[in-house]
Amino acid sequence: MKPLTPRRILGVCGLLLAVLFVVVVISLRMGSYPISTSEIVMTLFRGVAGQREQISSEFWLVVFGLRLPRIALGILVGAALSTAGAGFQALLRNPLADPYVLGVSSGAALGAIVSLVIAPHVPGLIQLAAFAGSAATITAVYFLGRRGGQLDSPTLLLAGIVSASFLSAIIMFLMTTLSGRDLRGMAFWLMGDLSSPAAIDLRWLYFILLVVLGSIYTTSSDLNLILTGEQEARHLGVNVKRVKLVVYIGASLLTGLAVSVSGAIGYVGLLVPHVMRMMFGTDYRLLIPASALGGAIAIVIADTLARTVVAPTELPVGAMTALAGAPVFIYLMRRKVR
Amino acid sequence: MPRNAQTHSRPFHTDPRPRLKVEQVSYAYSATDRSAPKFILGPVTFEAQQRELIAILGPNASGKSTLLKLLAGVTKPLSGRVEVDGAEVGGLDLRTRAQKIALVQQESELLFPLRVWEYVLQGRYPYGRRLRFESDEDCLMAGNALAQVGAYALRDRWMEQLSGGEKQRVILARALSQQPALLLLDEPTQHLDIGGKVELLRRLRKLADENRYTVVVVTHELNLAAEFSDRIVLLQKGKPLRIGTPAQVYQRDLLEEVFEAPLEVELKVTGRPRVILRGSH
Amino acid sequence: MLGGAAHTALVAASATVLSQSSVANTAPGRVVTDETGRRVAIPADVKRVVTLAPNLTETIYALGLEGRLAGDTDYCDTPSAAKLKPHVGGAQNPSLEAIVALHPDLVLATTSINRIATVDALAKVGIAVYTTDPQTVRGMVESTARIADAMGASAQGAELVARLQARLDALAARLANVPPVHVLFVVWENPLITIGQNTFIADALRWAGAESVIVSKQKWPDITFEEVARLQPDYIVFASNHAGIEKDELSALRSRADWKQLRAVELGHVAVMSEEVNRPSPGLVDAIEQLAREVHPDAFRDTEKKESHRSTETRRQENRNVKVQNRDSVRVAAIEKIDTRAGLRSAPIAGLGARRGAAL
Repeated sequence: MKPLTPRRILGVCGLLLAVLFVVVVISLRMGSYPISTSEIVMTLFRGVAGQREQISSEFWLVVFGLRLPRIALGILVGAALSTAGAGFQALLRNPLADPYVLGVSSGAALGAIVSLVIAPHVPGLIQLAAFAGSAATITAVYFLGRRGGQLDSPTLLLAGIVSASFLSAIIMFLMTTLSGRDLRGMAFWLMGDLSSPAAIDLRWLYFILLVVLGSIYTTSSDLNLILTGEQEARHLGVNVKRVKLVVYIGASLLTGLAVSVSGAIGYVGLLVPHVMRMMFGTDYRLLIPASALGGAIAIVIADTLARTVVAPTELPVGAMTALAGAPVFIYLMRRKVR
Repeated sequence: MPRNAQTHSRPFHTDPRPRLKVEQVSYAYSATDRSAPKFILGPVTFEAQQRELIAILGPNASGKSTLLKLLAGVTKPLSGRVEVDGAEVGGLDLRTRAQKIALVQQESELLFPLRVWEYVLQGRYPYGRRLRFESDEDCLMAGNALAQVGAYALRDRWMEQLSGGEKQRVILARALSQQPALLLLDEPTQHLDIGGKVELLRRLRKLADENRYTVVVVTHELNLAAEFSDRIVLLQKGKPLRIGTPAQVYQRDLLEEVFEAPLEVELKVTGRPRVILRGSH
Repeated sequence: MLGGAAHTALVAASATVLSQSSVANTAPGRVVTDETGRRVAIPADVKRVVTLAPNLTETIYALGLEGRLAGDTDYCDTPSAAKLKPHVGGAQNPSLEAIVALHPDLVLATTSINRIATVDALAKVGIAVYTTDPQTVRGMVESTARIADAMGASAQGAELVARLQARLDALAARLANVPPVHVLFVVWENPLITIGQNTFIADALRWAGAESVIVSKQKWPDITFEEVARLQPDYIVFASNHAGIEKDELSALRSRADWKQLRAVELGHVAVMSEEVNRPSPGLVDAIEQLAREVHPDAFRDTEKKESHRSTETRRQENRNVKVQNRDSVRVAAIEKIDTRAGLRSAPIAGLGARRGAAL
């Protein structure tokens, strides 16, 4: 009988951080531009030490202008999606829930399309419009998913699925009838793609990520109880209504954030929580940070492969997560059956 | 919090104050807001002390579960009060209420694998901050709870591997680890075989006698209730027809009318009644 | 949940990441506004150019500036010499690093093929990107001039533009009193997709004295075969890279029950344009002239057959070495359209497929 301790959580997070660090270092090393490891290391050190003038401007560009931002974006997106996935799986009481099941990505896609049609050349508009679309969807699904004044899991799930279908239908309609020219960008967006730089300063995005992650984390004990039964949790003193609201808004915001900057990268939000559960247990006090870090690792690996496997052509990262995700999914399902 | 400090200090003498006080509690609901109330419960009045085991009996749809929910504070009564240890249940915040009252209902399906001790440890949630890590004391209490139900040996097993009876015990243990003053169970014997039913009621009796819980059980088992309970609340269509000892409540005419079945009541040597079908000797 | 040291390093790194870095050479340049309204700071001396679309590559070669072409896409195949240049990836998903590795002074992009995300990303790291937005044939000619200006080769630009303009004017004169031929331009056979009124191809067709029978505001309208049968176009026009395909197309169409009903097929009025028709590049003018000759043979009776034959021969020789892959820009567009729709079906509701079987 060994209850979860903060030490174990820190230990697991430390381990995952170490893995993430290694993955980032390897990813930094890979790319079309010929730059050796020592040059990368030197650039990093000089950069952190503020000695920018001593580095070749191209090394600087490649390391700090191209590779690191992309890796940082990948970490952000991976952490956001995996945490959202874990949250939704608890909220909806469904192990098959992923961040997109409640229609957030469809709403974002609709926002993106509308912005592409109306103002295709405004830089960064597509991301802001996508986020607006996702926010609107979150609100609508919230109101549809209530029953008796609070979020009801089966109703919410239905509301989300219906909204997703409806929005997808609208998107299809728009794409076939509008003569907008830049809609080809949508194909990449729909698969999930990290090559577009974020419209907002990455530091802000990370700030938002950490704040929302933190809020969801405060409900992790509650989620453990809710997972054994909502009624039972209520009788134990959990404010189920409040917890559901926090998790719903938090997980949806994380999804909207991730999808706005990178499109709908699939499988990560669904599978990373399951893999982390298999490795570290189902206690959400550990699962949430583990999923965040695990998702970051997964995306950085996937994106590194995406941009190097058929270089110089870059594949959308969503293609890699789908390629890897499907076998992992099958493996997990078979384990459960056993 | 006073509750925490009291863990080892139940008073040795029986507290003269009633553990549970139900005063003129009534409840009603209707199909729609405007139509006449479809169902009315109460008014119900009774008290229960420490170490008492009360059974709530009655035919289907007589309001047994509703009454239990009123006792648990899950539903607010239309009129009257429910008090536990002097405090009105409706006025308590969720966590304090969970420290005083434990409710055991039909359990939901577990989504993810969980170990027995993890499950029981969740009963300690009402004690401490919202995001917290279990203390040694929590583990101790959970262990005690498992021991009280004779399931300590199961603590490292996976919940999904347990048999029906074992699971029932573990669920009970979780309720006990809340250290409640009042233990409420809603038809806990439903899915158990006769051996399991007897064992559960025996255990509840023991918990009441030795660990001084006040137990209220909603059940269909007339004879088990008669054998193990101190007092019985007999409900029919929401009305408390009689509240008293089993011998007092189990009158043939009364039972036949309430349950609409040909019944016969015998008195055993122990003084407790036994109900059988008429015509079977 | 980030360890302290890692966190500090990340903050420091991100601070440096976000400051603009530039590889533009230090020679003072000028600021021009490209065809999408974006202001571009071009260095005074443009020695190395990277193109992100096949038509831009072709334009560079037509201008005679291939010596300055440092790199192009995997799909730049006209002329064939372009295939030997260093590649930076696809037009839609090039590798930013590969572009940087070529140290370009200027990158050329076009709205008809490239993604704005790519242009944004390049601009963000300080690389000058000039984007063209040719909507019509004349627009293409003007773009050519502007590209030449951007590269500091205005003289070559003016010369090429003058030649192209002259050819177009001559063609217009020749077809001045000739009523346009009604054609169906087939982008894709199944589903049947053709071009809209406001497309580049439609404009090119008009220069060739042809008018699409389908009037639509969409770019790539889906049409039904019955509509075509009702309208009975004079000619069916395909675009292809493959030499000798005319005969194949015609016999293929003749063998199909629905197509052979069309008067155009019966009469053998199936024309194949060079795939240049969808490329806003100087080679387009060749394609226009070729089509004009085919659908208005009377208007060209006085020109020497030998001359036209020779240019066709040269092209046939070039094309013989080109594999018919799906790098038809026209077909690319159609594929994109279909892919996008398919992508829609699979992506946002990707979750749905898994969920249909879940506990509901």
